[in-house]
Amino acid sequence: MSPLAIDQILDGRRSQPDQLIEVLHDVQEKDGYIPEEAMQAVSQGLGVPIMEVYRVASFYKAFRLKPAGKNVLTICMGTACHVRGARLLLDQATGQLGIELGDVTPDGLFSIERVNCLGTCALGPIVTENETYHHHVTPGKLRKLIDTIGGQQPEETQHAQTQ
Amino acid sequence: MQQYVNVNIDGAIIRAIRGTSVLDTAIEYGICIPHLCHVPGLTDIGACRLCIVEHVVNGRSKVTTSCTLNVEEGMVILTSTDKIRKLRHNLAELLVAQAPNSRAIQDIAVRCGVTSVRYPFRNADCVLCGRCVRTCTEIWKARAIGFVGRGKDRHVDYPFGIQPEFCKQCNNCIQICPMTITPCNGPMKPGEEYLCGQCESQLIVADETPGSCVWCELGEGFACGRYA
Repeated sequence: MSPLAIDQILDGRRSQPDQLIEVLHDVQEKDGYIPEEAMQAVSQGLGVPIMEVYRVASFYKAFRLKPAGKNVLTICMGTACHVRGARLLLDQATGQLGIELGDVTPDGLFSIERVNCLGTCALGPIVTENETYHHHVTPGKLRKLIDTIGGQQPEETQHAQTQ
Repeated sequence: MQQYVNVNIDGAIIRAIRGTSVLDTAIEYGICIPHLCHVPGLTDIGACRLCIVEHVVNGRSKVTTSCTLNVEEGMVILTSTDKIRKLRHNLAELLVAQAPNSRAIQDIAVRCGVTSVRYPFRNADCVLCGRCVRTCTEIWKARAIGFVGRGKDRHVDYPFGIQPEFCKQCNNCIQICPMTITPCNGPMKPGEEYLCGQCESQLIVADETPGSCVWCELGEGFACGRYA
């Protein structure tokens, strides 16, 4: 994130420690996650110790400390989805992409998240892919979904390289 | 000017300084309330829960931590009832299961009458008492360490996991940590944890006069408030 963008966010809120969470929300909205440099700048701007900024940012689930992938797969692990096999979906996703929960694939295409309930329990198990809801997902459907999203882009990049 | 209030702790009417905690007042007067996270001079956060007492209000008693409870006029506190002893026993048992590799915690377990541990030993390095964090923040004003994460992922760490340049490297966080003194027989390997219980002889006098401070040696490992 550029220093200018952070200045813009901090504008009018400098030296107001109580604005910490608001500012972190704005940083996250702009960047998709909260980078270390942004936290340092926020710490300077608001007059909050860096430890405090990091503590708050790491405490709330709403803040991401690592960049998200281009496609964020969110697997619902609520009670209804859990009994219908959300665990299998998580295993399928982590196995197929070769990453752990909360991580991003090396090519930056996918990241896997879990959520405790999406409020559509009757349609479970639910997997959302960038705000798009997929209902009654099975490990097979999830595999096809990941293949179709991820399938085209690597080929395109390969093509570009050969040219 | 100091103002005084009269509080009733275990039947003793004590003239206490307004603004001090029940725990400090009791220790000063010689009533033993086991504690771990309390360090004289630091703010109390009630993290270890060992210093729980019964606070009687209108004939009903509330169980609360005495370190975060300030003295008030006419307060009635019971520190060593059967209910409290049972709860404290369980808390000490959980603490010793979490971190058996600490003389301080083993001592506290003995002091609270733990003779066997019903929970699996975890052999963790930290019980999240927050002594190091508060020392760093309040005494040294460095704020180089703090709590990170939430729930079961909560731990003490530097910002971003790297020792910052503003850390004064005073090592006070290590000195004040209850985990730095290992049990007398040396550190325990994972899978071989046990309840030490060697200091039980310390408690012969304590059994006869429950609740009173008998100047036991058990507090040395964690700097009991009495030593300050």
